[in-house]
Amino acid sequence: MVEFSYVIKDELGIHARPAGLLAKMAAGFKSNITLTVNGNAADAKRLISVMKLAAQQGQTAAFTIDGEDEKAAADALKKFMQENL
Amino acid sequence: MKMGLLGNLFGGKGKIEIGAPVKGELIPISQVSDSTFAEEMLGKGVAVIPQEGKFYAPADGTLESLFPTGHAYSVSTEDGAEILVHIGFETVKLKGEHFTIHAEQGQKVKKGDLLVEVDLEAVKAAGYDVTTPMIILNSDSFSAFDKKTGSVNAMDVALVLTKA
Repeated sequence: MVEFSYVIKDELGIHARPAGLLAKMAAGFKSNITLTVNGNAADAKRLISVMKLAAQQGQTAAFTIDGEDEKAAADALKKFMQENL
Repeated sequence: MKMGLLGNLFGGKGKIEIGAPVKGELIPISQVSDSTFAEEMLGKGVAVIPQEGKFYAPADGTLESLFPTGHAYSVSTEDGAEILVHIGFETVKLKGEHFTIHAEQGQKVKKGDLLVEVDLEAVKAAGYDVTTPMIILNSDSFSAFDKKTGSVNAMDVALVLTKA
């Protein structure tokens, strides 16, 4: 299992488009990927679930990744968060 | 679940009818100016050019998400469709200005419940395209998408899904 956290810097937070790109990327990995924001957990592969978090600037997005490709998934997601949020 | 029953009687098994979220003109989503939606990257669907600022639940279900800004919401239906209504493009940047929310995330909704009211003229004057995509987030769960076009009232059939 790999865990990492990222504090959201984008002033618009994780709105529909970044949520969609995030879910699409997460869905490309075999590992289970959970995203927790403000105490609420979501399946990062499900767009509707990610949007429900309505993650805002300044909040911490905590990822828990568990599975055979967890390392690669964590690297890709970290890069995505840094570049987009 | 009256619509579900009618859908089964007249539309055949496994068909799900989704209503237009707002009164306006239905257009093919490929014509919208935002490539994320035009290329159906987040899911397949339709787009409507709204003629009124009242946006409704397009089907019975649960209001899974309603952004605090009011610019987008999603409804999951009991028969398994996950519907996103995104009011305008880049409208997240308005941070809720000109949007009035009439519902709460997580609540049950009926088709036709008023969810968000928008001052369309003010949003347009601020420089935004108010064209509203309505897409199916779990498009992989469906084998066919019957996308309607033309003038619609809110709640008229806009999209018919066939279960995969």
